Amino acid sequence: MRFSLLLLILYRKLKKASKKNVQFKKYTGTMRARILIKTVDGRRGRVFIFDRGKISSLGGGDHTGFDVALVWSDAGTAFKVMSSGGDEGSFLAAARGKLKVEGMAYFAQWFTDGVKLIL
Amino acid sequence: MAQIYGGHLVAKYLQEVEKVEMVFGLSGGHIEQVLDGFTEYGIRAIDVRHEQAAAMMAHAWSIYTGKPGVCLVTAGPGFTNALTGIVNAHLDNAPLVVLCGRSPIRDDLRGALQEMNQVDMVKPVVKWCATCLDPGRIPEYLATAFRYALQGRPGPVFLELPPDILNAKVPGEIAPGLSGGTRRFTCYPDTHTLKRAAELINGAKKPIFIGGSGVGFSRSDHDLRTFVEKTGIPFLLLNNGRGVLPDGHPLCVMDTGFAGMTLGLSRADVIIAAGIRFNWTLQFGGIFPEAKVVRIDVDPHEIDRNRTSDVGLVGDVAAVLEHMIPHVEKRDHTEWLTDLRNASRAFMDSELRQREQPSDPIHPIRLVARIQEAAGEDTLYVVDGGDTTYFGLVGLRSQERAGVLTPTGNLFGCLGTGIPYGIAAKLARPDKKVVVLNGDGSFGFNAMEFDTAIRHNIPFVCVINNDCAWGMIKHGQEMTLGEGRLQCSELGRRHYEKMVEGLGGYGEFVTRDEEIVPAVKRAIASDRPSCVNVLTDPTVTSPATIMFEQALKVE
Repeated sequence: MRFSLLLLILYRKLKKASKKNVQFKKYTGTMRARILIKTVDGRRGRVFIFDRGKISSLGGGDHTGFDVALVWSDAGTAFKVMSSGGDEGSFLAAARGKLKVEGMAYFAQWFTDGVKLIL
Repeated sequence: MAQIYGGHLVAKYLQEVEKVEMVFGLSGGHIEQVLDGFTEYGIRAIDVRHEQAAAMMAHAWSIYTGKPGVCLVTAGPGFTNALTGIVNAHLDNAPLVVLCGRSPIRDDLRGALQEMNQVDMVKPVVKWCATCLDPGRIPEYLATAFRYALQGRPGPVFLELPPDILNAKVPGEIAPGLSGGTRRFTCYPDTHTLKRAAELINGAKKPIFIGGSGVGFSRSDHDLRTFVEKTGIPFLLLNNGRGVLPDGHPLCVMDTGFAGMTLGLSRADVIIAAGIRFNWTLQFGGIFPEAKVVRIDVDPHEIDRNRTSDVGLVGDVAAVLEHMIPHVEKRDHTEWLTDLRNASRAFMDSELRQREQPSDPIHPIRLVARIQEAAGEDTLYVVDGGDTTYFGLVGLRSQERAGVLTPTGNLFGCLGTGIPYGIAAKLARPDKKVVVLNGDGSFGFNAMEFDTAIRHNIPFVCVINNDCAWGMIKHGQEMTLGEGRLQCSELGRRHYEKMVEGLGGYGEFVTRDEEIVPAVKRAIASDRPSCVNVLTDPTVTSPATIMFEQALKVE
């Protein structure tokens, strides 16, 4: 539940930044990408849709057609790592088998760098 | 007193002093006496179909042999055609010696054939350029050219030789005039600076060594191996440094792909960067914002370029490592290395599965995996293209020095380098198999060099990753302009293998996954210049395309 809420808050922050944060608007400017963050069982998650500066999002972890999916082993780990900020937690989670990336990893890095701009 | 033509004197100097075995070029009236000199002094001339390819072959020859590559082109269009190759060598720091014809000095300002100011045109993209006006000074000018090409940061040089001196005769005994050939000098920092670097390295918890072309050119194999094995530091070797230590070395993390490189560099606490520039491919040094940086470069201007170094070590990479080894302590970074490998694999999970699974249409990364299976790790690979470069760079492995070259991925991003590099690779290392992985777009630039390979009996295999498009541009346009607005980015389904067959080579056309390995094996076994034209999935793009688009986003 906390994980789903975190993703919703993240979406709202991104949406706000896409309208008011000049640096973020420039960063997302021409990019079209679908970033899915979910748990491995698909029960929780959210897809973030970037379309040349516009951002929308849909809840749920069962979306297909994404460019990249960050797949967490469980919601607790996902919440703990994502709410801590920084890259070290994600790196260690990936190293310990608690995070896997499906699709093109570059988009995950792009998304992470974008989130850093608004935090 | 025996007389010798100036043109023969050029060949005599190259052969007797610099021990040049091979020159790459294209014939022309202005340089006839030099060509005749090659016959006289037994220098093998590889004559190409476009001077661009001659410069690229000579450039690649320098990478594979460690010696300067020599290219001979004629005046005017011969010169301008070679320019792309010269610029490529300039941005790649390759010791390329360009000998060029010129309109006769006698006819200057009178409208002579191919009269133009070549020297001023080439000056910004070479380390040294000159016109030799006295046949008696030909050896001196050539010696200067070789010295400039090799010393310090290597690079191309340009010597203009007008027919007034090439066709003039000089006394034979002045030739070659100089003896011993060009020597290389190395330098390294003082002990205090070396110790400061060693302190940082000894204190590192998550270090990475990243080496570039400077590692390759300094022939630092022994010192690099000693350094990384003593310190236990994981390493990446890029550009022309790839393969100085084999990809299969236990500390090499080239197998972690693009994800591994970006993850590893971004998580490292100390970066040791040797002979590599912090240019756009490393996000101008911004890819590792938190890390301490030790930089080794033969050019002092590089030490703080784009990113201030914590310790700068000016010198030849091999010499610097040799003198730093006594100051570094033995370390074991297994835990960090394991984390790096595991995290990278988690990030490239999809790509690893795509390599393993048959695909229809064929996925480019699957094509690369199948080529690897067919040709093995004792092969020299050259990759040329946009997205193709990415897939080849991350997917191919070799145990050979310069075993996986991706010249298109270097600073000039010069498409068309693949076939010339492949030909030079086979000439430099005739005992090795050579496989060029070409995009279909990039194949077109120097495809006629198959004729060169056939005439000179230089067997290599060119596998075309054929997505019927300028894939990187097409996918970039789809992302930024929209799918309905593609412009100048689509090619067609072309039987390039038939073209190669028509020239006298071996060709195969492949559309199915299971056909790839047998086709590549047959091409290798044919022992002829070969083209395996493989249709691949036109919808697949690579991270390189996204990175490329992002890099050009300027508002």
